[in-house]
Amino acid sequence: MSIPDYMQCAEDHQTVLVVVQPVGIVPEDQFFRIYKRIASVSQVSVRDSQRLLYIRYRHHYPPENNEWGDFQTHRKVVGLVAVTTCASAKEWPQTADRFHGQKEVFGATLYDSRLLVFGLQGEIAEQARTDMAFYPSFDRCDDVEKRVEDFVESIFIVLESKRLDRATDKSGDKIPLLCVPFEKKDFVGLDTDSRHYKKRCQGRMRKHVGDLCLQAGMLQDALVHYHMAVELLRSVNDFLWLGAALEGLCSASVIYHYPGGTAGRTGGRKPSIAQAADAGKRHRPGAQEVLIDPGALTTNGISADTSSEIGRAKNCLSPEDIIEKYKEAISYYGKYKNAGVIELEACVKAVRVLAIQKRAMEASEFLQNAVYINLGQLSEEEKIQRYSILSELYELIGFHRKSAFFKRVAAMQCVAPTIPEPGWRACYKLLLETLPGYSLSLDPKDFCKGTHRGWAAVQMRLLHELVYASRRMGNPGLSVRHLSFLLQTMLDFLSDQEKKEVTQSLENYTSKCPGGMEVITLPDGLKLPPVPFTRLPIVKSVKLLNLPVTLRPHKVKGLLGQNMTTKSPFIYSPIIMHNRGEERSKKIDFQWVQGDVCEVQLMVYNPMPFELRVENMGLLTSGVEFESLPAALSLPAESGLYPVTLVGVPRTAGNITVNGYHTSVFGVTSDCLLDSLPGVKTSGCTVEVVPALPRLQLSTSLPRSANALQPPSGEELSSSVSVQLFNGETQQLVITLENIGTELLETLEVTSKTVSTKEKLFGEFLSWDLDEALSQFPLKPGQVVTLTVSIKVKLDFSGQENLLQDLNDDGISVTGLPISSPLRQVLKPRAESKPVSAESGKAEYNHIKTLEAILNFKYSGGAGHVEGYYRELSLGVRVDVEPSVLFTRVSTLPATSTRQCHLLLDVFNSTEHELTVSAKNNQDLVLHPSECQRMAIQVDKFDFDSLPEPDAERARFANPKQLEEERQQAQGCEINSKLGIRWTIISFPWVPGH
Amino acid sequence: MAVCIAVIAKENYPLYIRSVPTENELKFHYTVHTSLDVVEEKISAVGKALVDQRELYLGLLYPTEDYKVYGYVTNSKVKFVIVVDSSNTSLRDNEIRSMFRKLHNSFTDVMCNPFYNPGDPIQSKAFDSMVSAMMVQAC
Repeated sequence: MSIPDYMQCAEDHQTVLVVVQPVGIVPEDQFFRIYKRIASVSQVSVRDSQRLLYIRYRHHYPPENNEWGDFQTHRKVVGLVAVTTCASAKEWPQTADRFHGQKEVFGATLYDSRLLVFGLQGEIAEQARTDMAFYPSFDRCDDVEKRVEDFVESIFIVLESKRLDRATDKSGDKIPLLCVPFEKKDFVGLDTDSRHYKKRCQGRMRKHVGDLCLQAGMLQDALVHYHMAVELLRSVNDFLWLGAALEGLCSASVIYHYPGGTAGRTGGRKPSIAQAADAGKRHRPGAQEVLIDPGALTTNGISADTSSEIGRAKNCLSPEDIIEKYKEAISYYGKYKNAGVIELEACVKAVRVLAIQKRAMEASEFLQNAVYINLGQLSEEEKIQRYSILSELYELIGFHRKSAFFKRVAAMQCVAPTIPEPGWRACYKLLLETLPGYSLSLDPKDFCKGTHRGWAAVQMRLLHELVYASRRMGNPGLSVRHLSFLLQTMLDFLSDQEKKEVTQSLENYTSKCPGGMEVITLPDGLKLPPVPFTRLPIVKSVKLLNLPVTLRPHKVKGLLGQNMTTKSPFIYSPIIMHNRGEERSKKIDFQWVQGDVCEVQLMVYNPMPFELRVENMGLLTSGVEFESLPAALSLPAESGLYPVTLVGVPRTAGNITVNGYHTSVFGVTSDCLLDSLPGVKTSGCTVEVVPALPRLQLSTSLPRSANALQPPSGEELSSSVSVQLFNGETQQLVITLENIGTELLETLEVTSKTVSTKEKLFGEFLSWDLDEALSQFPLKPGQVVTLTVSIKVKLDFSGQENLLQDLNDDGISVTGLPISSPLRQVLKPRAESKPVSAESGKAEYNHIKTLEAILNFKYSGGAGHVEGYYRELSLGVRVDVEPSVLFTRVSTLPATSTRQCHLLLDVFNSTEHELTVSAKNNQDLVLHPSECQRMAIQVDKFDFDSLPEPDAERARFANPKQLEEERQQAQGCEINSKLGIRWTIISFPWVPGH
Repeated sequence: MAVCIAVIAKENYPLYIRSVPTENELKFHYTVHTSLDVVEEKISAVGKALVDQRELYLGLLYPTEDYKVYGYVTNSKVKFVIVVDSSNTSLRDNEIRSMFRKLHNSFTDVMCNPFYNPGDPIQSKAFDSMVSAMMVQAC
């Protein structure tokens, strides 16, 4: 006997072995369907007794194992059920011959046999034969089970008669010596008359009867016979059979102690009480009478007799003793090289018993012993089977690691180099089964929580093996998945060299089969979840960026207020505010605009020792339709934090949530969700997208200023221009606004704001006429509108009051006066409360003053306009003002007419250009640079009091100082209009005014 | 003396493992890994009895053809495993015990290092040299 049955367990000793085999041509699936139905009759309650007969079915049984049937009767094939197909009566004789041939194989041991014929109809099928059943087809065979039960009962009758035969055969004249195949030649020429020999014969026969009793359901008798056998065999040192007797004792005790069975098979055994209860019901009229000696039944059978109960308790081994006896039996078996299979099977049975008893340590000792049992030359298949079963048994006793170890060995055996056709598929399947033992799950989610747990070295090895096996299986998709998993979860444990190797092979695989995010389902139902490369690169922070200043949407204030009130009926409630605060914690306080490119900044880190190429990196969003514009990047080896900006365009309005990002690294695409990333800093991922707004591009006729204007507070300028003007000069600034967006431009509002300056500004600095531009509205995309803004600078370049006084007093010419002396410059300018005439007075020259203003363009249109959003463009205007013409002295002379007078002005040219000055009704006065001349203008006298007073309404709110200023300004205007003094720089083409 | 010495964290992952024939390190990884089954079994068996007066030394975990595997568990469930050559019969139980005691003391020193983060692989040079000394002694 060389082929061990690893599935055996102690209670198999009470079963009878029936072989079910196909004869002739039987479709495999049909055969196994029938086999399953036959095998469902695993225990039969024998009529008129409370005994149960257990049947073990095999569809394959090596005849050489059958030869050990005398040694342990459960190894003996006692029944044969042949399944055959037969289409016509013509084929029948041949089929019948085949059946008989099959019977010959196990002929010596068979008690009974049956033939199930499918497909045959007609004369032959109609004849009633006990050993054959005819069915028209595989689908119409309702009474197969009943047939099998009848068959089992007939086996029982033979079994029972044999038992009684052997048990009562006590005459002792000639007990035959039972022996195992390898013993036969040992006994040749032995003295058959010696006491020793007789005892041996008796002992073996006792043991044999014990086996039969056990099979026939007479546990108590079996125990008694085994005990006697043990005593007899021990006295003659018949160790092999002593072992068998001890094992029989153990088996019987196990059956007694553990009626549920030790094999842990699904379904288990039916409780015998229920079986006994319905035994009576199953009595069918017309069935064969049971040919059992009634006397034997009452004396030996299981009855309610108390004496037998006591006996049972005495003979039965305690759970501890069972193990002791198993140990002893195994040690006896161990003496015989040829009994290796028996020893191995005994070990397996003992382990199963120990597993039930939860004695894992002792079980592991038995297994350890089993590992070293040498069964001679094993075929590769047997080796695989052996390792698999060892693994299963270790699993049974809770040694998961050991189990995984043996399973892995079995897997490796499947693809051993000696095997001509390596079974990569089987290897892969077995390797997958080892995963729990190495506490490895193939779901990367289990690894993202905290640090890695588990034995990295062995886990990595296993993953490598999985990769290799799946590749050899011809499933590159699986290899990619496993390799990705290896790279993702074991990154910390890979050396630089290994990182390189793993990525190289990953790239090789992905060139054939790119890795993706789909779940791979294996044929056996195992699902391999996708492995996103969240660590290639490692993302440290995610930040949503606001739109550039010019594109930011603003909400019309009035509407905002309304929204606030609709949210809650309460003006203030601390509880609600708190809740909102939390809700808002993930929401960001700026908006994105539909149709405009939005940016998200990631800080990434490359942990690899080489350059990492990330392709097709884009955003994963939800909430609104979002068009992601993927980027490709290449991160240097072991880079520090590296900013990456991912962009995209929201296509609809609503709330958008950035859930993560997708990448393609080494040919594997991954979707990395931020939720599953540990240690990612994010300042909120949800942002509101407002409906589309138009976009304006602003260009001006003036050059852009190199040094941008410093905005007063928090504001940012979209652009700024600068220009240099002489005091009093007027410049046209042409602003071109182009609608570069996709929406209609419907409204435009222009405001200006002068940046607070200490200079006194006369007149309007910036002035424009919007009506012409607005007449072209709505402005379609691509269209242009121009707006002309006049820049007028009138600044006070006059000096200080005391200087003016000086000049008035002594009337000296200011030509050559060191006005730009430091003394003058440190003096604080006082613009207010100057006499009216100072407007055209003297000032420090060669000193450039700067004026700054911001032009704001609020515009809106499209859907965003409806929602109350607008956009703002701002243009900074910076004007450097140079002094031009200064009046250094003013005086009057009476004219010829009393209603008129002469105004004498000392005009000073502070520019470097020759210029002409003209006044109303006067000829031009040419002034060379830094020249001072006096000009006289005849003017009508007028009274300031005639000027209209500011209306009473305004006077009420303004303070006196303001009123005064206003009055002065009005007076200045009056003078200006009367005088109309202009100057022109001759070399310049344009005509500034003053 | 010893051919392999391993320190295993409470969560059953190696904090330290060193073996003498370095070329076949993975084999010892497997040996020590599978021995954890026995360690766990022994701990759970002891746990039922007396938790307080537990013997830290677990004794022989299992013998293989070539090696004997001994185990030791600290009160914080950190496991020490020492693998010795089966052919080395001079080693008695007492010697193994003292080896474990030395190992435990050294491990305590490692844990006392304020810069050592419990759960990280042990990189202490002092521990390393102590282990080397134990391995070399009888080889």
